[in-house]
Amino acid sequence: MTEDEKLFAWLDGELGPAEAAEMEAKVAADPQLARLAEQHRGLGARLHGAFDPIARAPVPEKLRAAARPPAAIIELAAERQKRRMPSLPQWTSLAATLAVGVFAGTLLPREANAPVEVQGGKIYAAAALNHALDTELASAPTGDVRIGITFRDHAGEICRSFSSTVSSGLACRSGGRWQLKGMFAAPEGQGNDYRMAAGVDPNLASLVQSTMAGEPFDADGEKASRDRGWR
Amino acid sequence: MDRPSPFEDQLAGLLPRLRRFAHALSRNSADADDLTQATIERALRSRDQWQAGTNLASWCYRIMRNLWIDTARATARRTKREAPEEEGLSVAQDPRGVMDASVDLKRIMSAMSQLPDEQREVVALILVEGFGYREVSEMLGLPIGTVSSRLVRGRTALLAMVGEE
Repeated sequence: MTEDEKLFAWLDGELGPAEAAEMEAKVAADPQLARLAEQHRGLGARLHGAFDPIARAPVPEKLRAAARPPAAIIELAAERQKRRMPSLPQWTSLAATLAVGVFAGTLLPREANAPVEVQGGKIYAAAALNHALDTELASAPTGDVRIGITFRDHAGEICRSFSSTVSSGLACRSGGRWQLKGMFAAPEGQGNDYRMAAGVDPNLASLVQSTMAGEPFDADGEKASRDRGWR
Repeated sequence: MDRPSPFEDQLAGLLPRLRRFAHALSRNSADADDLTQATIERALRSRDQWQAGTNLASWCYRIMRNLWIDTARATARRTKREAPEEEGLSVAQDPRGVMDASVDLKRIMSAMSQLPDEQREVVALILVEGFGYREVSEMLGLPIGTVSSRLVRGRTALLAMVGEE
């Protein structure tokens, strides 16, 4: 690094503590260097003053529209994704997948704290997932499992969609328990900066749509329903 | 249920920053918004190539920078024959109290556009967008020393053009 580069790296906060201290002392001792540093700090501030208002201004409608293509395009993308990944929007393929779950469930030793358990050929929520479905409100998330929407299915049972960093799904009441209607793995590596909360797996969206009768509950309805024990 | 996927949500969230970057690269606001639009369209078309879990912002910045490089020369040639960059600064009509800033914006954009492309992009990414040297070196596929020396030349030239006013 040349001396100039070092001065700028210092201004930009790119030097380690020892080098930064050294540069700070050097600038303090040299009025010419200090003036140069000052001018460049001023330039940085001017650039921010000029360009930052653009990032704070409303985005022109044309650009916002471009980022939100019509539903048809999204559906096409979802269609592509379905072809690539195990797809379960339809009851037939869903049943097949649940059967695979049952099969695996009976073969694998039961893992403590697993979010699901298999009983009588059906898959139920367990452990933290069960707890979240029982107690969490979409309006007041606390744990790792986020509740999406709560609604009644065509049989009148209450259903809740959920998501975590690793999966999302839909569970409905059956015999006083939460029976899994579908569970979808989150795409790899989306744990942190690509939050599930930002949207819904297209397979889940489709499952919710085919399951829901009427409108989803609002916050009051959700809470009242919890207080009645999800009946 | 045509709820947008997280990809669209994230992309929409990046628009203000992408627009700012586009302004730092372009000669005027009209070009900047064209560049932003082209970037959005390219990102949506190429979404299969984005690896979930990697930084969508860096990916979009890279798309914008490449599109800008592709069109920069042609645009520069064309605009030289046209009127200077007076028109098209739609930010100046923004009612949210940025009038003073927009006068300086015009001046700064004009100075930035006189920097060589390879200096302008580094100045834009580091001094305007606030990326670190290493991030920019990875984004542009350049050694960090190259990023650093281009930044020195770029900011020195820029100060000579707009400083001391």
